Amino acid sequence: MQIKYILPFLAVAGFLFAAYTVISSNQPVPVAKAVAEPASAPFKAFIAGAGIVEAQSQNIAIGTPLPEIIKTVAVKVGDQVKAGTPLFYLDDRDTLATLAIKQADLGKARADVSIAKATFNDAKSLSQLAEAVTDRRAISAEELLRRRNAMLIAKARLESALALIQQAEAGVADAETTLNRLIVRAPVAGEVLQVNIRPGEFAQAGFLNTPLLVLGNLELLHVRVDIDENDAWRFNKNSKAVAFLRGNRRFKADLTLAYVEPYVVPKKSLTGDSSERVDTRVLQALYRFDRDQLPVYVGQQMDVFIEAQDAPNIGDSEHQQMPEVHLHDAPR
Amino acid sequence: MNHIALKMLMGDKGKYMGIVMGLTFASLIMTQQPAIFIGLMSRSYSFITDVGLSDIWVMDPKVQFVDDIKPLQDTELYRVRGISGVEWAMPMYKGLLKARLFDGRFQTCNVVGLDDATLIGGPPVMLEGKIDDLRRSDGVIVDIDGARDKLGKPSSAPGGKPIPLKVGDSLELNDRRAIVVGIAKITRTFQSQPVIYTTYSRATSYAPRERKLLSFVLVKAKKGQDLNELTRRISETTGLAAYTQAEFMTLTYEYFMDNTGIPINFGISVLLGFIVGAAIAGQTFYSFTLENLRQFGVLKAMGTGNWTLLRMILLQAVLVGSIGYGLGVGLTAIFGFAMRNTILAFKFPWQLLMFSGAGVSLICVFAALISIFKVIRLEPAIVFKG
Repeated sequence: MQIKYILPFLAVAGFLFAAYTVISSNQPVPVAKAVAEPASAPFKAFIAGAGIVEAQSQNIAIGTPLPEIIKTVAVKVGDQVKAGTPLFYLDDRDTLATLAIKQADLGKARADVSIAKATFNDAKSLSQLAEAVTDRRAISAEELLRRRNAMLIAKARLESALALIQQAEAGVADAETTLNRLIVRAPVAGEVLQVNIRPGEFAQAGFLNTPLLVLGNLELLHVRVDIDENDAWRFNKNSKAVAFLRGNRRFKADLTLAYVEPYVVPKKSLTGDSSERVDTRVLQALYRFDRDQLPVYVGQQMDVFIEAQDAPNIGDSEHQQMPEVHLHDAPR
Repeated sequence: MNHIALKMLMGDKGKYMGIVMGLTFASLIMTQQPAIFIGLMSRSYSFITDVGLSDIWVMDPKVQFVDDIKPLQDTELYRVRGISGVEWAMPMYKGLLKARLFDGRFQTCNVVGLDDATLIGGPPVMLEGKIDDLRRSDGVIVDIDGARDKLGKPSSAPGGKPIPLKVGDSLELNDRRAIVVGIAKITRTFQSQPVIYTTYSRATSYAPRERKLLSFVLVKAKKGQDLNELTRRISETTGLAAYTQAEFMTLTYEYFMDNTGIPINFGISVLLGFIVGAAIAGQTFYSFTLENLRQFGVLKAMGTGNWTLLRMILLQAVLVGSIGYGLGVGLTAIFGFAMRNTILAFKFPWQLLMFSGAGVSLICVFAALISIFKVIRLEPAIVFKG
């Protein structure tokens, strides 16, 4: 008798619970918000590329002319240097010793000149004495000839000694040049971006993967933009471009084209790893921007958008619009 | 008359219970089995729904489903970014990597690399830590199920529960150190491997050296942009496949439908549930009608019309049908509720409620029909026989 009521009641309860389960278990999954809003292009049609900030002068990897131990490093990271400022000094003891020898050689050569001069004067006066004798019978022709020759020989010796001075002087100058080469100086005015050497380390001459010292002119920064070779035909030198700082899209700067590197290079992954990952080639365009607009550092990556003509749809009516877009872009 | 019909139905409690039970089990099997099936299938694309923020997924044209990774060149990201109508496009790495655990065991994990700057595509719910913490060096976020189970440390007592991985613990991915900076709750995936979130550049450094590493490009369309138009434009311009979120879910789902035995297995279960339910309920109902034939005969002899009798039988069928249906879906819901925190896949959409309702109705109609034929053909004289 109770079953008459219990069963329908259970059935209604069961259905209601099922309905509740259906509603509660099918809530949409919450979506994780982006930590930083991604940059988006302010143009209708555009090319996107990864940009890396570099100094306008490009980053100069300073090398050493001579492989030598480093004595002192005269600059630190961030120093502003003028052209010709010494950057680091190489060990010069060896060259100093050579210089001392060369200077001694010079002293010796000078002393030799004094001897040669004295000898020449002696021979000259003896010769002049003999020449002054008016009576030819008082002196034999042989004696006269001997004295004249002795003078000529002494003169030649003097000239040779003078030449030896020049040689010794050149030797000293050589040693001094070498000494000078042991001081590595800034080739241009700029800022020291990186110092990878410490006193006592060996500075290798030649191309190095880790440069000894990186110098750059930071007054004007360039951003180097990689454009995929497949998109290169869409690139127009006169079109507008905008760069966004990664991590905060509020920081953006308008770009003006500095130049385009006409040679299309293999793309390197811009993660900083020097090993190449993909076998595509990229066109590199360099843009100038106002440094005050962006708190940016050299070597930082940026998202760059360059306005471009739209890719025409093949076999589409849009095809005819293409020249118009081109004309519109060209005069700017 | 309705009162008499109910009296007849509930008069024999055993029979009444039998019919209701039969229908309850039919409805239970027809709801619970498809719920598990749908749950399992929805896991195949749960990763896609979890990412959520993007409208379009761009990938290699030969990709068959979400775990079928065919990486792209890094520059494709910028080509996609350069297509008009694209608000933003972000890289995503997804791949299976071996993690070396604290105690030296190895565990294959699903590693997801998110765009370094925006971290788009991150886990939906963070239980501990923040997604931003991925910016810390060597930081990774681990999903709670993986942290508790497969990535956990073995318990000190043999056979005990593993000690879950905590924030601050470290693991090794391809000989590189990874520090857990957060624990996330994600929808379980089909393979149920632990999921490890990290930044894109870190994921590529964890990944074995390959020429191409970009798994997907996630695209958000500009406001008011027609998605189908945009996917067409992306695939025309880049030669890659572009799917909207729904299309990619369908692609993944259909791959599993076409290439695994799951739909057939569950289809057979559901069919069997239907047949058994129909057989039990139909047969019990029929025999119940047979036993009450005498009463129907009396009613007929008293001049009750066929139409009234038909209505009586229909009422009985609808009543047992609804009770059986209600109990069945109720039991399914209780089952799902009890299993909500286990590894079991269970999903109960409203369409399924409709489906099992239709199934039970069909069984009731079938049971009622054979009884109705019997009653309509009934000669009132039968009452006076034997």
